[in-house]
Parts: sequence; structure tokens; C-alpha cells
Amino acid sequence: MQEYDIVIGLEVHSELKTNAKVFCSCKNEFGQAPNTNCCPVCVGLPGALPVLNKKAVQLVIKAGLTMGCEINDLAVFERKNYFYPDLAKAYQISQLVRPICLGGKIELKEREVRLNRIHLEEDAGKLVHSTAAIGTLIDYNRGGVPLMELVTEPDITSADEAVEFLTKLRQRLIFAGVAECKMEQGGMRCDVNISVKKKGSKELGQRTEMKNLNSFKSVYRAINYEAKRQIEVLENGGTIVQETRKWDDNHGKSVSMRKKETSSDYRYFPDPDMLAVEISREDVENLRNELPLMPEELKAKYMGEYGLSEYESDILTKEKDLSAYFNETIKNINNPKEVSNWILTEVLNRLKDGSEEIKISPKDLASLISLVEKKIVTRTNAKEMLTRIWENGEKIENLVKEFGGNVDESELKTLVENIIKNNPKAVADYKTSDTPEKVFRWFTGQVMKETRGKANAAKAEEFIKEFLSRE
Amino acid sequence: MSKTKITIDEVKRLAGLSALEFSDEELKAFIPEFEQILELVDEVKNCDIGDSKLEYTSHKLSDCREDVAKESLPQEEILLNSPKTKKGSFCVPKMLD
Amino acid sequence: MKIDELSLIDLAKAISEQKITSYDATKFYIEKCEERKDLNAILEIFDDALDKAKEMDEKIKNGFKGKLAGVPVVIKDNILYKGKKASCGSRFLENYVAQYNSTVVQKMLDAGAVIFARANMDEFAMGSSTETSYYGITKNALDPTRVPGGSSGGSASAVGAGLTPVALGTDTGGSIRQPSSYNGVVGIKPTYGRVSRYGVIAFASSIEQVGPITKNVKDNAYMLEVLVGGSEHDETSLKTDVPSYLSQIKGSVKGLRIGVLKEIEEAVAGFEVEKSYRDTLKMLKENGATLVDVSIKDFKLTLPCYYIIAPAEATSNLGRFDGVKYSRRSPDAKDVDEIYFKSRSEGFGKEVKRRIMLGNFVLSSGYFDAYYNKAKKLQQKLINESKEAFKKCDCFVLPTTAGVAFKLGAKSGDPVAMYKEDLFTIMANILGTPAISVPFGKGENGLPLGIQIVADRLNEGVVYNVADFIESKGGDYARV
Repeated sequence: MQEYDIVIGLEVHSELKTNAKVFCSCKNEFGQAPNTNCCPVCVGLPGALPVLNKKAVQLVIKAGLTMGCEINDLAVFERKNYFYPDLAKAYQISQLVRPICLGGKIELKEREVRLNRIHLEEDAGKLVHSTAAIGTLIDYNRGGVPLMELVTEPDITSADEAVEFLTKLRQRLIFAGVAECKMEQGGMRCDVNISVKKKGSKELGQRTEMKNLNSFKSVYRAINYEAKRQIEVLENGGTIVQETRKWDDNHGKSVSMRKKETSSDYRYFPDPDMLAVEISREDVENLRNELPLMPEELKAKYMGEYGLSEYESDILTKEKDLSAYFNETIKNINNPKEVSNWILTEVLNRLKDGSEEIKISPKDLASLISLVEKKIVTRTNAKEMLTRIWENGEKIENLVKEFGGNVDESELKTLVENIIKNNPKAVADYKTSDTPEKVFRWFTGQVMKETRGKANAAKAEEFIKEFLSRE
Repeated sequence: MSKTKITIDEVKRLAGLSALEFSDEELKAFIPEFEQILELVDEVKNCDIGDSKLEYTSHKLSDCREDVAKESLPQEEILLNSPKTKKGSFCVPKMLD
Repeated sequence: MKIDELSLIDLAKAISEQKITSYDATKFYIEKCEERKDLNAILEIFDDALDKAKEMDEKIKNGFKGKLAGVPVVIKDNILYKGKKASCGSRFLENYVAQYNSTVVQKMLDAGAVIFARANMDEFAMGSSTETSYYGITKNALDPTRVPGGSSGGSASAVGAGLTPVALGTDTGGSIRQPSSYNGVVGIKPTYGRVSRYGVIAFASSIEQVGPITKNVKDNAYMLEVLVGGSEHDETSLKTDVPSYLSQIKGSVKGLRIGVLKEIEEAVAGFEVEKSYRDTLKMLKENGATLVDVSIKDFKLTLPCYYIIAPAEATSNLGRFDGVKYSRRSPDAKDVDEIYFKSRSEGFGKEVKRRIMLGNFVLSSGYFDAYYNKAKKLQQKLINESKEAFKKCDCFVLPTTAGVAFKLGAKSGDPVAMYKEDLFTIMANILGTPAISVPFGKGENGLPLGIQIVADRLNEGVVYNVADFIESKGGDYARV
């Protein structure tokens, strides 16, 4: 294994986050009854014509901008012709000669992966292979869902890097609002081109392609399996045949697919039903301005502006939802460090324990932190309040009444006065001790104990100070 | 300019791409006829077009359709002309995936 | 009032003024169609036509206004009318029932039309004689031993024989104009994109248009005004404003610059149509038009250019007829591949198969640049040449066909001879310009000959004005 370099290129398909399909106005929506999100265009009825969805183009441009792509000023749509039952028109509308995005790159830890292009195309329908008696069922709901295809240069050198690349790509697409990349729904699929060559050799080996891997784990396993297989073939004096192989995830191996002789000649030509699309500099700049910060940029901001650690920043920028939650919370309380602490411990622990979503609004979390800061409630009580908001959806206003701030000021004053009167020894200690603050805290503790934590700690401290100074 | 010739294998390849089947006789009869047509279209292949370039008819991105979802056709209307349906789906003999 | 003596415009007026009912007019034309079944121009009379006509009469009584209120109309068999069969002259679509309305049908219905029948056509509009239809050949309205032309042969024969006041055709390489010429009627191919193709079964998307076939030029202009306008379902349809065409018919050609194409002068020599063509130019000049010499150097290449672009698009457009989703599925097919190969082989006729094969040839790897790309570049060159020519003139005049309608079967064994039928008409499709055929002069056996007016894009008004003038002088030049 050590004597070989692995050369990997990826083709990644991601379904775009639009309301409507790319060439008609049917809903772009997963999980509906078969053939209910369909119109003449989706089923390829005679006379139906495609009409391009502006948003789909804009999302591909946005994707490209997050990866430093060059945006073509004229995008052309072509027909890729082949027969397959999931392809209603017997051609897929795609882009060959003038894709929307060219070039670009994604930086990995140890390497820069160059992109060849990103283009826009339509997804195909879904085939359900039932019993022999029933046959194969075709559902065109997915047909015409907008799909961006990103093609990398063969710059990836290991399964780990492939997964790192995909993770970063997925992060970007989600952050930019381009795609949701729901792997389990086929929202992101990956074809892997892989070849091996003797270490250091400039000559590329013959490559094979594995299609439609729909989890990072299968990409990882498929690459390792296929690299090993190719090396073994070469070591045994064999040659690699250029072919498409199917990854069998259940058995953990790739198998050669019977290849049809005609399948390679797609006879691309510009779709005569469609107009080319002019993309102006202004279009591009407007879209650039709409882009939120990408994970790396956010991380830099969290560390630089907010003084968070790299560890904290990494965690907070891993998922779009979490960083959005963080950003929203600090809008309500200007204490990023404390917000980060709360999210990394209290919020994430609860998510780890099985909650599917964050069940406290950023505003409420900010209020809780503020209550602690102002010593209206203790930290312990604030956590208890969080639990009750999270689990029972209780209102923070009601909880504050129960947990803090509701001991009457004169009552509190009397209480403090009594505690100090009844503990002369402690008062003496306070006056002579090398660490009076410890004794002071003991008094505070007594107040909290008496009020079961409900006292406003700041007020309590003020009164303690006042009475101690009188003694 | 030499005439474009076509072989039986070429015709078979085109038939494959076309998803059409022909008897051997049809295929043989096809060749001279096809070569006659090619003689016509070869006038284009052999002509001088100077520096003429492909120009695409285009429109502005802002002129494209807005991303608004509308009602689809009812399932039964979508399946109306289908030669075979099952469970609300178009149906073909079971394929090996 | 005799219904068949009324022009479309007069009939529309009479019905809207309730002098004639839509029911009577529709019934009259249905009976005409029944009488002339021998022509095989009409494939089906819609069984709800008279009910629709009655409904329209009610609506008109209640104040409905529309340019086609109650007017009976025939459509070509490749135009979708929801709930009605559209078989495109093909066995493949024998029982295909349209699931939605084409834009043109919708526009006509909105204008109050009673669409009462569909007309025969060459299979998938591939042909120039209506002899490739799976549903039998159509005969010429004026001489049943001759072809009606094609592919809109059914529509043109129906108008020529007085079976309808108006019929829609489609024109990809001359399919409206050539049959119009052969049946002595008027047919226009509008500017590419002027009429939406949505719901019209596609043959060659980048060059084809729907257009009306009528008894006279004014009727034609009137009808086109109903059909034009952009569609949200068709990117290639033009969204620019729609002018009135009728108001541009002025009854005069004074001061107009008529382009005489050098290449036509050469091509027309010795053809039957030559005299009509020269008479037209002479007549126009005598009536105050100026003849201007212009040139489209590569005119002769329009035909081979077409026979690359059209089959290439057709081969892809016809891929959807695969036996999976609608219409024909071979009863013998045991797996998906057999569904494709057998359904298509049984469902398509010889000419359609020939063009699919040709299309795949010019698109397939190794040939694409030499044929398809070259043809597209040539098309651009032709467009540039035409732009230069249109700087010097307002329109071109050229023949529609070389001669009168040919005999049934005369060319059916010779595809290239059949392709050359479109020698004069294809240019307008390649250029995307409007072109009309109007009868002028007679040839063999007194059969009509047609003259084409071709103007620059969106200049339908000029085309109609000149055609109307030629029509008005037609009688003076009639020869037997």
C-alpha cells in the first residue's frame, strides 16, 4: 500500500433548496405520494416545455461564490440524451459547454482541492424495484428537482480527505442556504473516480468510477476498498479496466456493472427549448452580498472578536443551526464567552441526551444568562429553570417569580439583619480573618439557604455589607 | 470531396442510439438511402463558413421564472395515457438495479 | 347568407351579430367534412363540437365578445386540445388523449372558437405530402390524384375544399406554406417565437411555428392576431407587444422595396413557377414598388442545413416516445429494453425512423462538430447575410414551390427528392423570419401556384400587406 499514491476525483450532486422545481412550477418536496408533484413537464408529456427557475441559478452562483469559482457570464443548458425509465424525456437537461461556475477550490487541512466546475441540472425520477409480479414502479416527483453537480480535479489522495472535503462542502452549502444536503433523502450523492499509481509517478493510472454513494461512510469504505482492489490487481500483474462499478454497502465491496455500448454517447447539444442565461456582474455582486459568513470566517470572528477558544469556535461553527443560534443569542446579551459556555454545556448536553432540537429560544437563553449575571437567580437555579423551559415549555417570566428576585427587599433586609445578629462568631471571624471574602460568601450562602435561592444575590450582598459594616 | 460512407456496424450503432430495431434486410436497404441523404448534408460539412460563430439566444437572469410553487396535476390525470400503472406509479417489468 | 361564401372575418361578424348561429355554422362545416371524407383531410370530428357551438350561442346571447366567438376551427393533429386525441399522424400516439391545452388552443378558446375537428398530417410533421401519416394519405382539395403537400396537408386540403373557414398548421420547413400553395389557400409561418409552441408536439423546436391557414390574406391576419403572444410556459416565445396585423394591410405597395434574391433568380430558372414568380415581380413594380437586387449567398445551403438541425432536434424530441409513460407499449415487450425498441419500432413509420437515425448520426461523437455545430454556425452566417439584405429591402419575394402539387406517390420512394420539395420554404425557418404563401398564377391543369413573401423578424405586417396586394391582383394574372 505504501508504494502507491491514490488519486481521487469527486462528482457531488446536491439537491437545491428551492420552493419549485427547476424547469416547472411543481413543488420541490420530498416524501409525497407517487406522481402527485407532477405536471406535463415532469412526465415529459408531448408539447411540454422547460422554463428555468431563477432561484436555482442563483443558488448555484452562491455555491460557487463560497468556493471562489468564476461565474460564467452566459450559462447554456444542454440535453444529455439516453433512455432510462427514470428520465421522462429521454434526455436530462444539464450543462456541458458553459456551466454556471468554473474553477474554485476548497482548502483542506493539508491540501487544496481544486474544483473543475459546478453546473445546474435536473434530478431524475425514482424507481422502486418491487417484486417480479409487480415490477418496477416509477415516480416522477423527484424528476425536475434542481440539482447542482460539482466536479473536482483529481486532487484528493485518501478516503479521509474525501470525507473531509465532503464535510466542508456540505457545511458550505448548508451555511449558504444553497442546499440542505439531507443524505438520508438522497439530497446529496457522490460519484467517486479513483485510480492508483506508483508513488511519485507522474503518469495517472486507469480509473474506475463508483456511482451514487449516499453517505460519507460509504464513500470512505468504497474508496478504501477500491484502492486496495486496484493495487492488488496491479500487484498481481493485472490491468485496471476503465469501468463503472457499483458499491455494495451491505457486503462492503464494489462490483463491476454491465456496461451498455451505447451509454457513453450522450449526444449533448444545446436545448432548443431554452434560452441561454446572461449573468451580469451586478447579479453576482448582489448574490455575494446576500451570502452569510462561511464556517471558517465565523470561526475567525468568534476567536478574534469574541475571544472564544478554537475548540469552542469549532464546535459552534460546525452546524449552521448552532452557529445561527449562538449569533442570535449574543444579539440579546453581549457576553459571547458566557453564551458559548452555556451552549457547549447545557444546550449540547441536552441535545446529546436525545432532544432533536434546541427547545429554548435564543432570547430566553440570553435572559437566563442575564439573570445569573445580575445575580437575580443563582446559576444552579438558572439551570433548573432551563430544564423546565426545555422539558415543559414553561414561561421564563413565571420561573423568575418562583426562583428569584421575588423576596421583598425589606424582608430581605430583615433576614440579613437577623442572620448577622444570630451569628456573632462569624461576624468576629469576618473581621479578623485573612480571607474575609470566604466568610462573606458564607453569609451569602445563609441568605440563599433561608430563601431557597430566591433572593436577589446582588441585593443580599449589598445588605450583608451594610450590616457587617455596622457591627 | 469524397462521399461519406457508412458501414453496417455504424448503422447498427445508430439504431442502438435510436432505440429502433431493424431486420437485416432493412438495415441493408438503409445504407444506400442514408448515403444519399449524407451526400445532401455533406454540403454543409464541406462548405466554407468563414469565421461565423455560434451565437446563443439568451435572456437576462432577472427575466427567469420566479421560484413560486404551483399546483400540480392530479395523479390520475398524470397517469391518464399510461399503458400500465400500479400503486399510483408508472410500471415496467422488474428491472435489475 | 351562405355560410361557405363568407370569409372568416365575415363569418365571425355574422355569428357575433347573431345573424348566423355558431351551431348552424359548425353543423354546416361538419357536414362538409362528412361529404368530403374521400379527401381524408379530417381525422376526427369532435363529438362535443355541436354542444360547444350551442354553448357559444348562449354565451353570445349573454354578451360574450371574442374575435372567434362561435367560429368553427380545425387544428392539426399535433396540437393538444385537452380531452381530445392528438396522434401526430403516428401509430405511436394512436390513442393519446391530450392532458392539457396548448397555448394556441387556449387562446382560441378564450376568443370563443369552436374547435370541431383535427386534421391529418405527415407523421410527426416529417414529410411534404401527407403520405407518411399512419392514418392514410390525404388528397389535394383541387385534384384528388395529387398530394395536398405536407406536413399540414390535412389542414390545407380542408381549407381548400371549404371544410372549415380556418385551420391551424405547423411549419418546420415549409409545412404550412407548401400545402397552402398546393391547395390554393393562404398560410403563414410567423416569426420564430411569435406564437407559443407550448402544447404542440415538437419536431424541431428551434425552427418551428404554429400558423393559420385561411382562404384569404385578411382572414389570415385576423386569425394570427388571436394566436400570437408570449407564454409563461415557453421561454422561446416572444414577450414583446403584439401589433394589429389587419391595420397594416394598406392595399398599396407604393414605395416598398422588394428584394429580389440573386440566388432565387438562378434557382427558379426552368421551374413551372418561374412565370408566376416573374409576373409577381413585374406586377409589384408596375404598382409602385421598387425592385432591389439582394443576395443571400448561401441560400442553397439552407436545405442541407435544415436536414442536419431538424433531425438532430427531432431525434431528441422523440426520445420521450419510449413506451414507458403514455400511449403505445409493444404487447411483446418483456423487459424495459424491449419496451423501448419494440414500441418505437412498431409505433414509428419509415420516414420518422430515417430522421431519428440521421439525427443521431449528426449528433453522435465524432460527427457532432462536422455536422451539427457546423450547421448552427452556418445558420448564424445565413442570419447575418439576411440582416444585410433586409437593410436594403422591406421583404423578399420568392416562389413557395417549384410547381403545382405533384401526383400521389410520385416522390414517396425517393427521400431526397421529397426533401427538395422544401427548397424555397426552408430559408424562413432557418432565419426565423415570417413567411407567407399566397396563390398567384396557375400551372398545369389550372392548379394553383404560390408566391412567398419573407420579411425580417417580427415584420408580419409587411408580409400581410404585400400578400394582400398580390392576392388582389391575382385574378389579372391567372393562366390556364
